[in-house]
Amino acid sequence: MDVALDSLRFIDLTTANVIFLLIVGFIGGLVSGFIGSGGAFVLTPGMMSLGVPGTVAVASNMCHKFPKALVGAIKRFRYGQVDVKLGVVTAASAGIGVQVGIKIQNMILAAWGQAGSNLYVSLSFVTVLITVGGYVFYDAMKSRKGTGQDKTPALALKLQKINLWPMVYFKTANVRISLWFTVPVGFATGMLAATIAVGGFIGVPGMIYVMGVGGLVASASELVLAFLMGLCGTVNWAMQGMVDIRLTLIILAGSLLGVQLGAIGTTLVREVMIKVVMGSIMLIVAVSRALAMPKYLAQLGLMNISKDAVSIMDAVSFGIMCAALALGAVIILGAMVKARRAMARQADQTAYGQA
Amino acid sequence: MAHELTKKQAVIRMIGFGIASAAVYAGAFYDPNAFVELCSRGGGYTALPIATVLLVSFVHGGFASNLWTALGITAKVPAKTAQAVKTQTKRPEARATLNA
Repeated sequence: MDVALDSLRFIDLTTANVIFLLIVGFIGGLVSGFIGSGGAFVLTPGMMSLGVPGTVAVASNMCHKFPKALVGAIKRFRYGQVDVKLGVVTAASAGIGVQVGIKIQNMILAAWGQAGSNLYVSLSFVTVLITVGGYVFYDAMKSRKGTGQDKTPALALKLQKINLWPMVYFKTANVRISLWFTVPVGFATGMLAATIAVGGFIGVPGMIYVMGVGGLVASASELVLAFLMGLCGTVNWAMQGMVDIRLTLIILAGSLLGVQLGAIGTTLVREVMIKVVMGSIMLIVAVSRALAMPKYLAQLGLMNISKDAVSIMDAVSFGIMCAALALGAVIILGAMVKARRAMARQADQTAYGQA
Repeated sequence: MAHELTKKQAVIRMIGFGIASAAVYAGAFYDPNAFVELCSRGGGYTALPIATVLLVSFVHGGFASNLWTALGITAKVPAKTAQAVKTQTKRPEARATLNA
């Protein structure tokens, strides 16, 4: 059977495209398995750079994201790091956040067109990533100088002391907190997921700093949230026939290898490394998105800039985004290699001591 | 907690899952255009891409997991678990007492 595809929706695949998607899928999976999210943000612009239309890129990315999150969550559940209840409870409010986020996006699109919408997305990226990412990075550097173990943040301790009905106990996280304080975390995660497609950049820090969950459990439980949100999103996109299953399967081939390696990595390195990787990626991505903003400002007539400068800034912006993902992978793999060497040295010393 | 596989067991499982994964990918890419067209019809066909990725996550995920184990890249047993095993105490033996 020779079926001609709708060329407006589905691109022709070349060997170079397949290799690119496999590599980005693997690195994205590695980062997601380690910090709970964040690997998918390069894939949508990456696919679009191959000529995939925006909606198909988003839909195909989401369709690969939920099975990847499922595999990562199962793996980390086996290590005793996942709090399923925490993931499900935050996912409930995240669902509302996604709907509100989509409504806001549509309103902006209707009022200011595509350029206005893109500017809003980039502005959200820069604002959230600089404030949250900056704090995560600062906290990680502070913890690294200390014992490297997580201390419950002051805000979370205060909130945990407020007995506001209904109180919920999250067993694996060992946190008892009012359900009402989980709502803003889930809602903001959903809003961000609908805006920049990476809700975990708010979800994981929210669980850590607002609810008082440790970095390891927060990043693992985020995978449950990503699975539930991704599944709902995929059903939505697949109903509209926007999923390019070829792209999804190629990315999955790489990302399922990466996500398992990332999950193994969390058991080898110090807990603070999760914050180091997350903070570093968020800050670099913020720079990348800031470079994309002048183009949209020019399209809205708010700034004058030449076409050549715009195309250079676009290329640099995409390059920095890829560099952020690559840096995350290098930090994770480097920390894993270091941890394994230290374990091997310790084993040698023990064997020598016994001999 | 899942039990640890030996390298030999992991290699056998990796080959099994690898063959299954290759079969699924071969099926999907046998006529990719027809498959993409089926998956993008929407409506009742929505289940097709979702079922496909879930199947791939099982077979290819199983392959990936066993691949890392076969290569010797395994997780470190959490300290808490090790400590819990170490601190387990024997139940006290029953002793006869006299309540005089």
